[in-house]
Amino acid sequence: MSGYLLRRLVSLAATLLVAALVIFLVLEILPGDPAAVTLGLNAAPEALAALRTEMGLDRPAPLRFLAWIGGMLTGDLGLSYTYRVPVTQLIGERMAVTLPLASFAILLACAIGIPLGALAAAHHNRAGDAAVMVFAQLGLAIPNFWFGLLLVLLFAIGAGWLPAGGFPGWEGGAGPALKALLLPALALALPQAAILARVTRSAMLETMQEDYVRTARAKGVSRRRVLRRHVLRNALIPVVTVLGLQFSVLLAGAIIIENVFALPGLGRLVFQSIAQHDLIVVKDLVMLFCALVVALNFVVELLYGLIDPRLRQAT
Amino acid sequence: MRGPSASLPRGRRGWAGPSLLIGATLAALVVALALVSFVWTPYEPTQMAILKRLRPPSAEHWFGTDQFGRDVFSMIMVGARNSLAVGLGAVGIALLVGTALGLAASRRRDGLLDHLVMRAADFSLAFPAVLSAIMIGAVWGPGMHNAVIAIGLYSLPYFARLARGAALQCRQLDYVQAARAAGLSEATITRVHILPNIAGVLVVQATIQFALAILAEAGLSYLGLGTQPPAPSWGRMLNEAQTFMADQPWLAIFPGAAIALSVLAFNLLGDGLRDAVDPRTRRSRA
Repeated sequence: MSGYLLRRLVSLAATLLVAALVIFLVLEILPGDPAAVTLGLNAAPEALAALRTEMGLDRPAPLRFLAWIGGMLTGDLGLSYTYRVPVTQLIGERMAVTLPLASFAILLACAIGIPLGALAAAHHNRAGDAAVMVFAQLGLAIPNFWFGLLLVLLFAIGAGWLPAGGFPGWEGGAGPALKALLLPALALALPQAAILARVTRSAMLETMQEDYVRTARAKGVSRRRVLRRHVLRNALIPVVTVLGLQFSVLLAGAIIIENVFALPGLGRLVFQSIAQHDLIVVKDLVMLFCALVVALNFVVELLYGLIDPRLRQAT
Repeated sequence: MRGPSASLPRGRRGWAGPSLLIGATLAALVVALALVSFVWTPYEPTQMAILKRLRPPSAEHWFGTDQFGRDVFSMIMVGARNSLAVGLGAVGIALLVGTALGLAASRRRDGLLDHLVMRAADFSLAFPAVLSAIMIGAVWGPGMHNAVIAIGLYSLPYFARLARGAALQCRQLDYVQAARAAGLSEATITRVHILPNIAGVLVVQATIQFALAILAEAGLSYLGLGTQPPAPSWGRMLNEAQTFMADQPWLAIFPGAAIALSVLAFNLLGDGLRDAVDPRTRRSRA
């Protein structure tokens, strides 16, 4: 197991290094002069020269790359050109919105998708199954930002139950903050719930064909108990896999949803940084998103062992 | 010498499940809307008419007018053209380059090229289209072409992995071994035997990726990273509708419905085609 873990950790580090290299090439080498991109075409030569020095562009590219990697490892991501504050501080503040939003969305997606998939499998080829499949098709087709707008129309503008956007912060207590995150999280969760419902249903239908399920039924165990204890538990492996793979889609969705609901999270920050040509922040944020996705995929692989002891022994 | 086609098994040709039928009908409707927009739209989609601004749906303006008095239905027709163009461009690039890479990787399993292509594919799956678009947009500015490149780059690894896997299976088959024994070059074997046999699964994947590309384009245009004004785009229309949504909800409802309908059409078409290509998948999904 430790050998396997070590191999996976080396692979994780290599992937992150390649990601950093690609991001550095695209955002620092390809533009030619990142300072000119940041300040625009009409920048004064003195301002350009000052920014080049501030960004360290007077040093060779390999040294800059190493300095960036070193900075990331020590928590020094440089100074945002637009906000004039350390990027680490910006990320810390915005993380307090994006992480709870993503976690809330994953919880909602699991709470909606897994029971619906299980319901569909238990009522295979009946009305409940068909209804879940229609939900899944619609959930995959409806853009989450449009669903977000519809939720605002219904529950914020129409009923007035929830805020249409903005975030009050965590200082005022968890209640108002969670209330502000409910509609965005629901919008973000819809496509994930649809995918989870399909995968759970499909995995349960496959598991129902297994000999041990037939044996359990033959022993007189009730159908409900077999579905819960034997079928659903074994069907969770592909569900966890898909959940891990979908995390990158969820993060991408968060970038759009935070803009729909004017939430001051990482997604909105990256978007504002593009508009302001703040390449330092864009570079760090893209790397952060990439690292989050890669790290989560790593955690998912470790989770396999916890869910299925057979895989733990195999590794 | 040509091997048996894996695209449509004998006895299943002409089979049309409800997914295929509904998907094909809806997709034909969206494509027809886009094609008709080249020769006819009820109004000029970019023509402003301030006196007619924010009109609700009526016989004169089927989907109402926007804040500049532009006809929403005409904008949706032209928006369909732009959405399909981005989808076609992105999936076309991904299909061509991804398939070529996958086929090249499959020539020697576990060879250097195979490892390189597969690791690159693994790596790019960690990059959602919106992240590529953000990087490209930050450096070269937003636009339709950059959206095509970003979505194409994101879709590419799906085709590379699929083409590699399917080609590796094909290379084990007797008629490919026979062709090799007969002295045919690897390039000829790939062109004459492998490619026609994996074309079916690639077309299915292309249809599904096409639906995802439409969704991604709408998201990028919503953020201002895709199709740029004055060219109408569904995502941009939704962005602009947000300000007026409380009193003019149709401005948000119609473009969103157009996106959902198009994505649903190509998703169903892809599902239907997959069932036709591989009937085994139908049991677990249908």
